[in-house]
Amino acid sequence: MFARDILTDLLGKPWGEIIGLTIELIGLLTALSIVVLSLTWMERKLLGRIQGRMGPMRVGFHGILQPIADALKLVLKEDVVPGSADKGLFWFAPLAVFVPSFMIWITIPVSHDLVLANLDMGLFYIIAFAVLSITGLVMAGWSSASKYAVLGGLRSAAQLISYEIPIIMAVISIAMMSQSLNLQVIVEAQSNIPYALLQPLALAIFLIAGVAEVGRTPFDIYFAESEIVGGPFVEYSGAHWSVFFLAEYINTFAIAILVALLFFGGWSFPLMPEISALGFLWVGLKTYLVIAVIFWLRGTLPRLRVDQLMSLAWKVIIPLSFVNIMITATYLYYGWAWPILTLISLSITVTVSYMLYRKITRPALRTLEERLAYAKSYNQSRGQSEVSDAR
Amino acid sequence: MTSEPQTGTPGTVDMMMNMGPQHPATHGVFRMVLSIDGERVIDMVPHIGYLHRGSEKLCEHEQYSQIITLFDRLDYIANFNNELVICKATEKLMGLEVPDRAQYIRVILCELNRLASHMLFYGTFGLDAGAMTPIMYGFRERERIQSLFESISGARMMHNFFRIGGIRYDLPEDFNQRITQLLNELQKGAEKADKLLTFNEVFLARTRDVGIISAEDAIAYGLSGPNLRATGVNYDVRKSDPYEVYDRIDFDIPLGDRGDCWDRHYVRMREMYESIKIIRQCLEQISEGPIMAPVRRIARPPAGEVFAHAENPRGDFGVYLVSTGGDKPYRLKMRPPSFCNLMALRHMLRDAYIADAVMILGSLDIVLGEVDR
Amino acid sequence: MLGSLKGLMTTFIEFFQPVVTVQYPEEHLPIAPRWMGFPVLTWDKEISEPYCTGCMVCIRYCPTECMSATMKDNPLHTEGKSKRRKIVGDFEINYGRCIVCGICVDVCNFDAIEMSQEHELSVFARNDNRADLSRLLQLGYEYQENTGWSPTEKDQEGENVKT
Repeated sequence: MFARDILTDLLGKPWGEIIGLTIELIGLLTALSIVVLSLTWMERKLLGRIQGRMGPMRVGFHGILQPIADALKLVLKEDVVPGSADKGLFWFAPLAVFVPSFMIWITIPVSHDLVLANLDMGLFYIIAFAVLSITGLVMAGWSSASKYAVLGGLRSAAQLISYEIPIIMAVISIAMMSQSLNLQVIVEAQSNIPYALLQPLALAIFLIAGVAEVGRTPFDIYFAESEIVGGPFVEYSGAHWSVFFLAEYINTFAIAILVALLFFGGWSFPLMPEISALGFLWVGLKTYLVIAVIFWLRGTLPRLRVDQLMSLAWKVIIPLSFVNIMITATYLYYGWAWPILTLISLSITVTVSYMLYRKITRPALRTLEERLAYAKSYNQSRGQSEVSDAR
Repeated sequence: MTSEPQTGTPGTVDMMMNMGPQHPATHGVFRMVLSIDGERVIDMVPHIGYLHRGSEKLCEHEQYSQIITLFDRLDYIANFNNELVICKATEKLMGLEVPDRAQYIRVILCELNRLASHMLFYGTFGLDAGAMTPIMYGFRERERIQSLFESISGARMMHNFFRIGGIRYDLPEDFNQRITQLLNELQKGAEKADKLLTFNEVFLARTRDVGIISAEDAIAYGLSGPNLRATGVNYDVRKSDPYEVYDRIDFDIPLGDRGDCWDRHYVRMREMYESIKIIRQCLEQISEGPIMAPVRRIARPPAGEVFAHAENPRGDFGVYLVSTGGDKPYRLKMRPPSFCNLMALRHMLRDAYIADAVMILGSLDIVLGEVDR
Repeated sequence: MLGSLKGLMTTFIEFFQPVVTVQYPEEHLPIAPRWMGFPVLTWDKEISEPYCTGCMVCIRYCPTECMSATMKDNPLHTEGKSKRRKIVGDFEINYGRCIVCGICVDVCNFDAIEMSQEHELSVFARNDNRADLSRLLQLGYEYQENTGWSPTEKDQEGENVKT
């Protein structure tokens, strides 16, 4: 907004707008690249500390320059294009993945007056564009002319489409609470109570589905071990791959900042700073905390298998998201006090998690004594000779 | 146990997928050719021999003290256990009586090596499942054990420490203080490992009811070690055919109930605690004394044949030794546990997903050094 | 979700523990006194000659056959300064083949060969890591200085005193 206003004053309407917009877009791209660089550094340091080691230490003080070294290496690497690949699609697929991820950022506000274009349908726009990058992945898989890439691409498309639905549902319930799709209005409606307190179920659904959307552990089977490695990205190298890499981190940052804005109150909870820079810092802090949680999940949990991932989406997360919308609608219709919504939401989250936990772990929780007794009876029923014969 | 090729959906052609000698989650150079139908594995053909070094032939040209260095390198993760078996075989043939102190020290070192081996299994199995921290924790615990080995035997891995008739040196002076501290740290490390992975829901979903083998099939295929105990069969060489001082020590054998990947993981986790118990009892029972039986420098066993086996971390490691009275064996045949465990892999891979194939291979805990010898 | 939460708490607590990384090559981990590095030859300071007499026992017992040597008449013996009639002429160990097993140290009758603490011997060509007699004696001399090595005591019959 600043560049456009200044340039419009200087140059008049059409030119000032166009040049100002270009400058602001370039500025946004630069800011995002710097953020992505910082995210890669933070991830490696955080994972290192979780594992009891330091992260990068050699390149610059505590590895600060490591992301630049990584970027340089990726750009200088040879870009190998498979001989039988579909060249046009091969070149276009990274763009098809990257451009929608970047377009989301146009309407994400980072402070009460820092936003590139505040649309009234901001949330709808974000969701619509997030879905577009799925086609890019399928294009990447198909054009690589490799069996494993095609299978990986299709698998990733299935996963991403399944997890779009819970994101949309969670976001709908937020929009119902705040009566608007405009992100700035949503954030300002949380100045008393963040929506995380009101709807913990929606937060859980959005976080799980968001992590699955981005493709991070525990949901990263489609590119981290499927068939061999790589999934749809297996034939990309060098600068091409770096575009995918950039898109993944931009998506992660987008999910995190949406969590911060939609659920944790953005810049307006608990206090509304007057200076936009302070609000920007406040949002940044919350976003980086959410990102730290996402990295923490990556460092701890193993991966889900593809069918388990899909059954989790369709059997657990999507029904829960519908239940969440029903609860929110009921709450709004009857006009109850806000703790009731928290109570219902929290109780459903806890109940469903506990049911999942018991279903998965109950067969495994037999103690050693039970096992020993079982083994003794088993061996006795088959005769003692079973043990001594096996010499 | 049929060996005819099986096919998936009629009217379709199964795809051959090669998990080549270099794995992403490598367990050594092992090649599996899977034929898959969609997402399910129909058949599997293993290709081994990428690490064949001619150990059995080499043994015919080396003296017994040099063979110990060779056995170190067979199952390169459980070095002391391998050395123990060859020493046992030769001592049995020569009728040697190993002094008590040497036996206790051997048992302590073998159990520490079992701990280290199971920690490595834990790390690599977690990595196969997709978690990237267990391997760091596992190797941290291994590092503690290996630095103790360094102070005892002089090397972190290839020790060449056991001798025919005893052990090479006595324990260093700082051993007692280091071992008590180490056992406490290992107890905490094993508990941390358990908390991170064993009852984790995602890990359970990945490994429960995957790669099931029944007890009858396991015995028929010749499985041994934790793989067999995971199916519920209570067979451990340390209990059924006790060697060294295991008959004077009281410990439990953890068992599984249905022979899936989680049971194999659980049995190994529990065996770590049992190993710590064994080491503590050995430390109480050990006494001063000689560490080497009176034996000449070059061991010349009398002519004869002997079979000796012991409980390696991977299973039942056996050595069949034929001697004609010289200082080199006439024939030395090894029965590696991982080689026999691999026979059951095809059975376990029926109706598994491709992502499960890596998990099942990881849960068998094979070491290609002893598969290929 | 108790299992996953316990796992998350474990990694969370681990985040605040001290790191275990040792930044090599600026920092080194301590080496145990018994640690076996590559074998080196020792030097008899009183007589100023190697302990090694070239008897070839270690070469015969080496599992990988990585050593070779020649034996020659000891000039210091004819002058009456040394008790050793024969002394080592040439000695070469191929460190690329040595498996650091320590058998050569076990069988040596003269305490002539010892496992040093050498482990930083990288070269650029495969067969370049061979040490001849002067290098072995130089490495041995450094080993003796660093660790204060002295030969095993022998009692009156010439047998090793048990430690």
